[in-house]
Amino acid sequence: MTAIVRRLPGLPPLLACLALLLAWQAFAHWAARGGVPDALSTVRELPLILGDRDSLGAIAESLRRMATGFAIALVVSVPLGLVMGRSRIAAALLDPLFMIAYPVPKAALMPLIMLWLGVGDASKLLVIVLGVSLPIIYHSAAGARGIEEKMLWSARAMGMGPVGRLTRVVLPAVLPEILVGCRTGIVLALITMITSEMIARQNGAGNILFSALDMAQYETVYAMILIVSALGIALDMLFEVLRARLTGWADDPHLIAAPPS
Amino acid sequence: MIALRRESLLGLLPILALLAAWQGTVAGGLVPPALLPPPAAVFGRLGQNLVDPAFLGHAGVTLYRLFAGFLIALAIGVPLGLAGARIRALGAVVRPLVRVLAPVPKIALYPALILSLGFDDASKIVLVVADALFPILLATFAGAASVEPKLVWSARAAGTSAAATLWKVVLPATLPAILTGSRIALVIACIVVFLAEMITSTDGLGYLLVRATRTFQIVDMFVPLLAISGIGLLLNGALALARRHLLRGFPEEG
Repeated sequence: MTAIVRRLPGLPPLLACLALLLAWQAFAHWAARGGVPDALSTVRELPLILGDRDSLGAIAESLRRMATGFAIALVVSVPLGLVMGRSRIAAALLDPLFMIAYPVPKAALMPLIMLWLGVGDASKLLVIVLGVSLPIIYHSAAGARGIEEKMLWSARAMGMGPVGRLTRVVLPAVLPEILVGCRTGIVLALITMITSEMIARQNGAGNILFSALDMAQYETVYAMILIVSALGIALDMLFEVLRARLTGWADDPHLIAAPPS
Repeated sequence: MIALRRESLLGLLPILALLAAWQGTVAGGLVPPALLPPPAAVFGRLGQNLVDPAFLGHAGVTLYRLFAGFLIALAIGVPLGLAGARIRALGAVVRPLVRVLAPVPKIALYPALILSLGFDDASKIVLVVADALFPILLATFAGAASVEPKLVWSARAAGTSAAATLWKVVLPATLPAILTGSRIALVIACIVVFLAEMITSTDGLGYLLVRATRTFQIVDMFVPLLAISGIGLLLNGALALARRHLLRGFPEEG
């Protein structure tokens, strides 16, 4: 059994997916109420949505926004986090501000931001950037704080300049921790993506989901939930492959790290 | 101590700068007050609301949902994490399930929860449970799996039963990890309960934001946001105190 699992690392999660679908099917039968469509009919609904050009375009639009927002957040947050981790003054300056900002639901800023920037792409992008930034900043800072000083001293003693130290010592050493932040960031990006589209109903996956709920198209609601969940799982798996490639040398990253103190 | 105080003063600077920029933008007439009210108006309204029983009632409803969800998540996550890490067969089942369920954006499940549990507290509490559970479960699992085996062996060799070892050795050794997970879970619970109340609700802080948006009361839109940020800060502080109290004697904690 262990040998099979080692050969096919995707097998247990796949079995888990199947088990969950089965449990859903059984629950729908047991409950036998109008509200809960069973798993089978929901899965049958999937081709209808995925085959529809408009819905597919809307989902692609959501993903494009999420990817853009994530990329912007990454470019801004990693340098900021590194500076906060290496400089006591920068950390003292910025820590309290981020501590106040952390528990504010970023998607809840949507109504305000819509007043300023309109219902279009700009507001949704901004909300996603805000939502993703904080965990990445936090983890980059924590990683940079934890760097072994001796490595920096050695690099310096061997004549490496500050730029070289930053790109060839600090960045690789912090990478595993940055990726932990990115993983939280992906989950938050999905949440903000869905919620921002739910509030500014223009297009996107969140719009389809909540409009279907309002119009009582329950099969579509459940099928969209399935699609969004699959997106989350797929992104997580993709990320895991990327992480193994980039930082296969590091110890298994702790699944979870401390939040801002 | 003086250095510490100076650092915390330094931290006030960007916040004050932000407030000054806000005041400057409004006073300079760069944006109409209908889009960005002056900070004095926002904080004044917050002060008024904090002694207003109706507002406190809404805040209380939000807190009730938040705590109910968080405590249920704690009651499920900690035992499941401990058992999953110590019992191999259970771990083999729990691990792939968590792997699949953790990255699912739970807010997308909310429509299904509304349909099966109704618009009331139940659907919101279950949503908070679903979101707060995984940080706690993952942290407990990782913490319990990395407990020094020699501690467990010593306890077993000294005649402690397997169940008592779990309770007396593994649980205390996992406590730091559980508290770390709880902290993340609390922040997420704050965010999720607010969003759920924005989607469908007739009470709570999230509802206040939606109501203010619909009636275009811009000052009232800021107040619930400040309130949830304050709640998050207070809870974080309370948890930090609890951590210091519970982890007396642990190395490198505090």
